[in-house]
Amino acid sequence: TLPMSAQFDLKTYWTTLIKEINHKLDEAIPVQYPHQIYEAMRYSVLADGAKRAPPVMCVAACELFGGSRQAAFPTACALEMVHAASLIHDDLPCMDDDPSRRGLPSNHTVFGVDMAILAGDALFPLGFRHIVSHTPTDLVPETRLLKVIAEIARAVGSTGMAAGQFIDLEGGPNAVDFVQEKKFGEMGECSAVCGGLLAGATDEEIQRLRMYGRSVGVLYQVISDVLEAKLESSGKSDKDEGKKKKGKSYVGVYGVEKAISVAEDLRAQAKKALDGLEKYGERVVPLYSFVDYAADRGFSIDH
Amino acid sequence: EKKTQIDSDVFNFKAYMVEKANLINQALDDSVSVKNPPTIHKAMRYSLLAGGKRVRPMLCIAACELVGGRPANAIPAACAVEMIHTMSLIHDDLPCMDNDDLRRGKPTNHKVFGEDVAVLAGDSLLAFAFEYIVTATAGVAPARVLAAVGELAKSIGTEGLVAGQVVDISSTGKSDIGLDQLEFIHIHKTAALLEASVVLGAILGGGTEQEVEKLRRFARCIGLLFQVVDDILDVTKSSEELGKTAGKDLATDKTTYPKLMGLDKAREFANQLNKDAKEQLSDFDPQKASPLIALADYIAYRQN
Repeated sequence: TLPMSAQFDLKTYWTTLIKEINHKLDEAIPVQYPHQIYEAMRYSVLADGAKRAPPVMCVAACELFGGSRQAAFPTACALEMVHAASLIHDDLPCMDDDPSRRGLPSNHTVFGVDMAILAGDALFPLGFRHIVSHTPTDLVPETRLLKVIAEIARAVGSTGMAAGQFIDLEGGPNAVDFVQEKKFGEMGECSAVCGGLLAGATDEEIQRLRMYGRSVGVLYQVISDVLEAKLESSGKSDKDEGKKKKGKSYVGVYGVEKAISVAEDLRAQAKKALDGLEKYGERVVPLYSFVDYAADRGFSIDH
Repeated sequence: EKKTQIDSDVFNFKAYMVEKANLINQALDDSVSVKNPPTIHKAMRYSLLAGGKRVRPMLCIAACELVGGRPANAIPAACAVEMIHTMSLIHDDLPCMDNDDLRRGKPTNHKVFGEDVAVLAGDSLLAFAFEYIVTATAGVAPARVLAAVGELAKSIGTEGLVAGQVVDISSTGKSDIGLDQLEFIHIHKTAALLEASVVLGAILGGGTEQEVEKLRRFARCIGLLFQVVDDILDVTKSSEELGKTAGKDLATDKTTYPKLMGLDKAREFANQLNKDAKEQLSDFDPQKASPLIALADYIAYRQN
């Protein structure tokens, strides 16, 4: 661990960025005719309690290589849009059939299944469009933006998050590892990689960000499952018993102890990926602190 | 020889259509391969390769060639617009939307693969369209590819396909739908992607700003034309002739051009739109513009 990390205040860094990102997202989806679709999109994208982990990680990775926040913000917002789109579709009755999300009714519960599908269908392209129309090309050359678009499209597509969702529904041997990687690792990987691409990181550095982001994404989910299991065993959980997703988490399949050891491996793997980036000095500290946050949850993000 | 065929006075549209359709079908087949997990990719291919008329990809390639580009510059974009068209059909056919069992003469995607896979196959085609246009386009400046991405994205969301479908859903069953609202539905639901198809071809083929705007106006006319003709066919043809459920607009009490202005007036409107479309091409070399003129006629006079 670097000496600077003790002084680095992740909570302030994160909450400051959340404020800016929320403001930009609010501006990115103004309500027009036909109102209902914009309301449905805004409902999920601007939901209270969103931690904005993908955009914050994207900004931190961009800043690591000397890129500016202005260069990263449009892509950061796009990540949040496509992430929201994917969650809206995952919650649908024909998918996970989840009536709630982050403690609020899920999108289709409020707007209907048809609007929820269309809100997702509109948020995916809005993400791409936002990158094209809002990124200052004097800060980011077009070739880099094309790589960013391809990266996001790959991450949400048929071999990425959609594949994770499919195996989550379908099951099968070793499904849990595949689902965790694709449903939760993919967004972390894509977020870190996009930040690096925007700032012109080398191929080797991009590989490191890939490994790092994927490990942090899965780590966050494994720890969430462990915490949920502990709450449940102490009788404090308000989640439905026997929810069908339960069997597909590490905890559900391997038990709490094995899940904790998986989490330790992931933490080590994420930090190892950052080893080769220490030449960037204290700018790498935010990325280290995300790993510890994902593992320890030292504070709550409120805004 | 193909070249003399296109250069000859009588443009052989049928040969042109066959040649381009083969080219496009082959490109689409190559674009989406069966990867892991196989089911999603099979579902994507099932609808993408179901044998549509490929009007959008043809428009894309024709516009590219009209401004001096090579077909290869536009083929990934041509595939991308067909992927977007296909994904919107898959999602529109879902039980919670239009609830259609039949599409292009075959069971709809969710009938074969289930609703969950149909949603994911649509999402995957949407994402892949962008990945493909970015990674497979060759011989075009990055700034032009990026502009094409922006145009394509605009045509799908709340300023395109989705907006049209939202207003369409909320208008169904209502008796007070006016011409303005009907036009909003079709400009967004049909014309936006046809416009994107043409504009993408023009941008990727190296067109000037004026050329792109001329072709954009051409595309807007034929986009609306496409829908007016669709509405006319829905009341005049059988399901068998159409390869989809006929008379559905009447059955679901949808507002259509024939219903709103009468069949004769709707036909007149279609003729006017075709004429307006062709006027936009008057500054181009007539020889080179013949594929787009023939495509406009094809859209106007098609029987299914």
